[in-house]
Amino acid sequence: MRALRPWLPAAPLLLYLAAFLVQPTLYAVKLSFTDTLTGAFPSVANFRLLVADGLFWRAVVGNVVLPIAIVAVEVAGGLALAVVLAARLPARRVLRAVVMIPFALPEVVFLTVMRYVFAPRGYANAALAAAGVGPVAWLLPGRPLTFLTVVAADAWHVTPVVFLMLLAALTAIPEELGEAASLDGAGGLRRFAFITLPLLRPALLSAVLLRGLDALRVFATPLMLAGAEGLPVLSTYAYHQWSDYGNDGAAAAASTLLALLSVVLTLPLVRRGTAP
Amino acid sequence: MRRVALAIVLAVAAADLLPLGLVLKQAFTPERESFAWPPTWVPRTLTLENVRLLADAVDLRGGLALSVLVAALTVASTLAIALPAAWAAARQPGVDRGLDGALVVARVFPTIALAIPLAALSIRLGIYNSPFGTGLWLAHTLLALPLAFLVLRSAFRSVPRDLEDAARLDGASPAAAFWRVSLPLVRPSIAAASMLVFLVSWDEFGFALLLQVTNRPLPPLVYYLTAFGHPGLASAVAALMLVPALAVIVVIEPALRSGVFAGSGR
Repeated sequence: MRALRPWLPAAPLLLYLAAFLVQPTLYAVKLSFTDTLTGAFPSVANFRLLVADGLFWRAVVGNVVLPIAIVAVEVAGGLALAVVLAARLPARRVLRAVVMIPFALPEVVFLTVMRYVFAPRGYANAALAAAGVGPVAWLLPGRPLTFLTVVAADAWHVTPVVFLMLLAALTAIPEELGEAASLDGAGGLRRFAFITLPLLRPALLSAVLLRGLDALRVFATPLMLAGAEGLPVLSTYAYHQWSDYGNDGAAAAASTLLALLSVVLTLPLVRRGTAP
Repeated sequence: MRRVALAIVLAVAAADLLPLGLVLKQAFTPERESFAWPPTWVPRTLTLENVRLLADAVDLRGGLALSVLVAALTVASTLAIALPAAWAAARQPGVDRGLDGALVVARVFPTIALAIPLAALSIRLGIYNSPFGTGLWLAHTLLALPLAFLVLRSAFRSVPRDLEDAARLDGASPAAAFWRVSLPLVRPSIAAASMLVFLVSWDEFGFALLLQVTNRPLPPLVYYLTAFGHPGLASAVAALMLVPALAVIVVIEPALRSGVFAGSGR
């Protein structure tokens, strides 16, 4: 009993996690193995349905490719901005405030704007028309360009945060290191590759993990911009099964697969003991 | 180099300001102007027409009340649960390690994987689509706990242990030392955590979409207005959604700079 005493103040938190994280997850597993039509349990009917559904396989592919693209674009973009702007940043304080603005916009508000930016008669096409370029179909279902538009919209929203994370890490690198290297004859590219990049590694790693785990469960962005069938990922596919077909078994099966993927990829983080 | 940097800064600033500008423009111009081709970048007429039309189109007042209610309840329950846990974690490394791991899982768990079983469970419990947002409140509390825990744990870490020990020597129980000594010292962080938690609930979309199918708080309301092709009305509700976020930025940004979070690992 004595050993449990220090845990007492944490008991409400642990009970809450048990009731609203563990218990629903177990219920979702049970639903996944319950035949939606007959109620038979255990049954693999839901998984058989998923495997036979082309949209499910598109969602699986989307759920791999979209997070990778999102992380690549946002980390590369954030890094580029940080490197260019770290040395001599004009109006640093104003920019820091401005950079926070998209992040302060609620997701659904930002995505509403994106829908009108990339609409057929939207602001993006208006800007192109002003430059004499014909209209572009940004968000037609199932097109590669739709994928790129969704990545761009997400990057527009979140790159500023990655930029701020990396800028903080970059300004913490002592300038003397770069100076010493250039005295030894190292050029800009070599200084970047052999000094800046290795020292940025922890910050880059946490940016990739943080964004990667968020991008894995991406939901509102593809749903609002492309629809569940235009650019499916596992979460929008599960929502589609739930709300359009009322098939809670298939929805639970797809979303539980996603949860499993998330938790497996998170385990190394837990072991390192660093919360993102 | 300086010119290039300046050009990039201006481009970034423009890209960051554009969405905010467009949402405000669409909110306060007539919908026919939002449908015009080419669309206007600067409003031609300013009007409150959309706000008036909203009253007929959707239950805006109900949505606003529901959003405020759920967010306020979420702040209360999250703080009540996270405060003692964060204190224990700041004082006991063993507790800290255990909670940290559990909360990382809670932090990254896909919304949809909880929303679907929670929706199915709340149908069985009769709280699905509750006019008081009961199920949504419980879900939002889960979502906000890791964040509140992190903010409060670093606050408690910056309270010297000696203060509590001194209170204990004077005869205070551990609970009294927590309640009368440490808690008052972390009040600024409690305020900051409350604001962040309020925004987490206020902005949240996935749980709200699945758990509140007809009694909708503001985020799903914006989604449906957008999906049904009402740029003006959707933007008007979206503009309303910005109010607390901007208020918090105005309050929190100066607080950040004045060092409310000093010693919290920044």
